[in-house]
Amino acid sequence: MKALEDLVALLTRLPGVGRKSALRMAYYLLKADPRYAESLAGHIAVLQQQIKFCSICGSYTETDPCDVCGNPQRNRNLVCVVEQPQDVITIEASKEFQGLYHVLGGLLSPLDGIGPDRLRIVSLLQRIRQSRLTGAVIEEVVIATNPTVEGDTTALYLKKVLEPEGIRVTRLATGIPVGGDLEYADRLTLARSFRGRQPL
Amino acid sequence: MSFRKIRVASFRNLQDAEIPTDSEQVFLIGENGQGKTNFLEALYYLCYGASFRGQMDSLIPAQGSDRFMLQASWSNGVAGAPLDDEIAVSMKGRVKDITLNGKSLRDRKELVAHNPAVVFCHEDFSFAAGDPERRRFFFDQCAGMLSLGYIDTLRNYKHVLKQRNAALKESAYDLIDVLDPQFVRYGIMLMEERKQLLHKFKAVFAESYEHVAMLGVPVTIEYAPSWPEQVSLDSLFDYLRRRRSEEVVLGTTRSGPHRDKWLFRCNGENFTDKASTGQLRLISLVLRIIEVRLYEERERISGEGPRWPVLLLDDVLLELDLGRRRRLLELLPAKGQGAQSFFTFLPEEPWQDYVDRSTLVYKVNDGRFED
Repeated sequence: MKALEDLVALLTRLPGVGRKSALRMAYYLLKADPRYAESLAGHIAVLQQQIKFCSICGSYTETDPCDVCGNPQRNRNLVCVVEQPQDVITIEASKEFQGLYHVLGGLLSPLDGIGPDRLRIVSLLQRIRQSRLTGAVIEEVVIATNPTVEGDTTALYLKKVLEPEGIRVTRLATGIPVGGDLEYADRLTLARSFRGRQPL
Repeated sequence: MSFRKIRVASFRNLQDAEIPTDSEQVFLIGENGQGKTNFLEALYYLCYGASFRGQMDSLIPAQGSDRFMLQASWSNGVAGAPLDDEIAVSMKGRVKDITLNGKSLRDRKELVAHNPAVVFCHEDFSFAAGDPERRRFFFDQCAGMLSLGYIDTLRNYKHVLKQRNAALKESAYDLIDVLDPQFVRYGIMLMEERKQLLHKFKAVFAESYEHVAMLGVPVTIEYAPSWPEQVSLDSLFDYLRRRRSEEVVLGTTRSGPHRDKWLFRCNGENFTDKASTGQLRLISLVLRIIEVRLYEERERISGEGPRWPVLLLDDVLLELDLGRRRRLLELLPAKGQGAQSFFTFLPEEPWQDYVDRSTLVYKVNDGRFED
């Protein structure tokens, strides 16, 4: 059954999907309402045509500029820098941040040959400089990269290039989750939190 | 903490069997190549989910098999604990499964925290006689057993070091500038922890070594960090900056905790240059014994004690004369303290001298265990 095998081979390329899961999905689709299969296929087909990158911040959007960049209610003095477009969706879901975003499209990693020129750093500097020509000057950049070696390297690099621009550069805090229960923190998080302890 | 019984299936040359081990002292007697070390490896595998031999897991299944299975009942040493723990490690093809009381463990680190073992094996000789990397390996392993945070810091340091070396090869000065704060931060954390570890070893090493070796002059441990000690962060950055052009030419990082040294000194000289093979062997054995004692001390301070790691001693007495053997055994946890030890011996060794009424003795022959 070549059609089935071809579909399984395509599905196993999806992240987190092994051959067994792919087979289950394929058999499910075989038995499902044909309208469901057609709808699914149609949505997959137009996904890349309909969803683009925002020309300002680089996050996923159906309209350009994206809803965040185009919203006059957002705080335009504050920009949150993230690694990937999906990070914007995660932070937006918290409804805690009312500023703008800037997606870098990766992290600095000399081991993988990723230098500053491969990231959207120049466009961030251009945004900052252009903002001075408008009434809404970018004053603070919040770096929300992951607390890994590459995330920290990227944050330090951004600090180095942004501070001469007179920008306040901040970084998301790490450690025990606020309001979280110590009981549920894993040993490594606790060990790191002890090492990164702060004077009160 | 102790193993009550072990079940092995398709593990190297060991015959499939259930082997009772419920004793503080278990002796495995056999000629070379009969399966004594393989049995210790199986025990180690049940403690860490990996081998101490550093070989590929795919070489472990018995000939003609693509899988192996190990099971153990484990007493955690806590008085009044209602049940023994059941640990199982199996591998089929390249898929490894580790379960604790029937539940799969996501990360084998969870097993490490549960039931540690310390193995004394022939390769430990390199802690005394080998290159600085092997010595760092021992002290890093020891610090890691005492603190999960040390493993995390070391892992981060090594990762930054790799990134820094890649940046040096590309002459990416702007990236080296932003990697150095992390490199220095993790490096200083490692140095501080290594100094604390030195302090702990120094408190007991010379005395312990002298107890067994009876040299008449103390042999001491020293820690020689690659970076200058007691300098400010700024001067350390200056130090790195001054060396950068040389590092860019060589494409590698020339200083830092990855180049630290651990030294053994006697009469102000490097002891390992002059020591005999037996004296060097003794260094590695005493280091391991101190590692065991530091673990017990940590557990006691945490209120968990007395809890000892399982001791796996592979042919360790072989190169020592009878007096040193006896005195070395005096340094091991005394009987009745709840520490379980597995010893391997060749048949011609005087193992009967160390047997008491509670010792379990197995003759190991072609992978079979006989009482």
